[in-house]
Amino acid sequence: MSKQKLIPIIKCTSRNRVIHLTVIAVGLMTLVPFVLNDYQISLGTEVMIFALYALGINVLLGYTGYVSLGHAMFLGIGGYGLAILSVLWGWPVWAAVPATFLIGAILGGVIGFACLRVGKIQFLVLTLAFSQMLSGAFTKLKATGGTDGMAGIPRPDLAWLGVDSWNNDIFYLYVLTFFLVVTFTLYRVLHSPFGSVLVGIRENERRMVALGYRTGRYKIGAFAISGFVATVAGLLLAQRTGFATPDYMSWSYSGEGILMVIIGGMQSFSGPILGAGFYVLAKAGLADITDEYIVVFGLLFMIVVAGFRTGLSGLIKVILTWRTRNERT
Amino acid sequence: MDFFILNILNAMQLSMLIFILAIGLTLIFGLMDTLNLAHGGFYTIGAYAGSQLAINGSFWLAFLVSPLVAGIAGAILQRFALQPLASKGRSTHLDFALFTFGLLFVIMGGAEIIFGSAYLSIDAPAILKGGFAISGVTFPYYRVFVIFLGLTCGGVLWLLIDRTVLGAVVRAGVADRETVCTLGIDINRVFVVVFALGCAFAGLAGVVSAPIFGIYSHMGASILVVTLIVVVVGGLGSFKGSFWASIIVGTFETMAQAYAPDVQLYGLYILLALILAVKPEGLFAIQRRIA
Repeated sequence: MSKQKLIPIIKCTSRNRVIHLTVIAVGLMTLVPFVLNDYQISLGTEVMIFALYALGINVLLGYTGYVSLGHAMFLGIGGYGLAILSVLWGWPVWAAVPATFLIGAILGGVIGFACLRVGKIQFLVLTLAFSQMLSGAFTKLKATGGTDGMAGIPRPDLAWLGVDSWNNDIFYLYVLTFFLVVTFTLYRVLHSPFGSVLVGIRENERRMVALGYRTGRYKIGAFAISGFVATVAGLLLAQRTGFATPDYMSWSYSGEGILMVIIGGMQSFSGPILGAGFYVLAKAGLADITDEYIVVFGLLFMIVVAGFRTGLSGLIKVILTWRTRNERT
Repeated sequence: MDFFILNILNAMQLSMLIFILAIGLTLIFGLMDTLNLAHGGFYTIGAYAGSQLAINGSFWLAFLVSPLVAGIAGAILQRFALQPLASKGRSTHLDFALFTFGLLFVIMGGAEIIFGSAYLSIDAPAILKGGFAISGVTFPYYRVFVIFLGLTCGGVLWLLIDRTVLGAVVRAGVADRETVCTLGIDINRVFVVVFALGCAFAGLAGVVSAPIFGIYSHMGASILVVTLIVVVVGGLGSFKGSFWASIIVGTFETMAQAYAPDVQLYGLYILLALILAVKPEGLFAIQRRIA
């Protein structure tokens, strides 16, 4: 067998360049509501929500090297958490939202503890089982509407800012705020020593143990963070559609999440964001042409896994370095 | 009491169907350390191939040829996709699981494009029509046939693994792949044969299940989940484990459906979590060297 080429997680791209690109990207994203039409803005909102979801999955898949086939359960936890707290128990939205995030993180830790006691293959099946368990339970639960799920998910009352969150533009900016805060925090966390330990676990866990790291705790931490970020996405998704249904926990949502990460490029921070953008936009485009977009994505998925492990983010990086080289000469 | 006996028979029938699928997956995993998530896809291929063959021919033609179709498809996948990837040094766990996961999507979507989303079915053969009565409720002969088929498959595979040269090579490959290579055996060729055999079992399960459960494009996804649970509960790569886990899972599913339908949707997963909590490696884990 040939020697495997390791892809370092911390890129050598200069710091300035990253900051420049980020500032430009954030600037463009803020401009969206003022430039594009209603449908495009709503697509943009969807992209950011699924980008958060994919970022969450990538903490496990790309950084720690664990495939979770059940991450859609956190989409459900985010949606149902908010629905149960606000609709059933009558909590105000400003309290229900952070409470849901907390629940997501805690459940992430607990489920992570249960799933990480076993090997990687068993992990894959066990995460799938947990998501099926939750979706089955919510399908049966009468209080949350069974198969139909719950409607009337509240959005925050932004009257004190003089705006209405049911307005498409405002909701876009609301999601953008969450997106930026979570993404920035996650970036800091994953580029801290903690993130490096996760990469170490991915590359060689036994060596990390030999170095004295309690890898079990780090992995549970990674699962909790991953679950928390996906919960944020789930909550925003429920607020966007106004529904929380067991459907959001189905394994096709888990599969689509993995699809986004792989297409965008796992093992890079920006990959899941690009992948989610590509996936949501291509799905919207393909749905007009063919009903069976899933075949196209499946093929794309296989090609990326087989030939271009760095995905879209790798492609962009190649273009950037090529340009830099041309500028120098 | 008669209701109970009927349920036991149904449980055995479901167990054996799952068992045929699970031994295919176990065979591939045991030797090659590859988790083939497209196993549900080969089950789908077998079922659709069977439905086409049964239209113009008979059930028995479908029964004999569809496992071949699935097997050949599996051999092609192993020879032209997985093997080149493995020689490039790809992890058989992470990358292959993802690659075959993508393939599962392609097969399910492809089936829907070609055959539409309608339910298809295969008629049970004339000789197995009808059934015997247990206090007024008929138990079809066809289901008895499935039970015996499952046991036969298990027996044949046991003979193959335990009593033939191919079996000896496979067992040696599981224990120590490098030494097998040094002995002058082309392990890649063995891999192709084993992969094809594993997929053929999936195809067989597909065509056999068609008269009972029908054929639809996403049939592979739900059965894959159950099969994965069986393989993990039994202990990865263990045939004995697959057998007992199939019986546990099949019985649990059938009994839950009969006596506690509310539990059926999630009971199995709780069972899985409990078993893995006590035995993280499954019931009959095989000992592997830690490289």
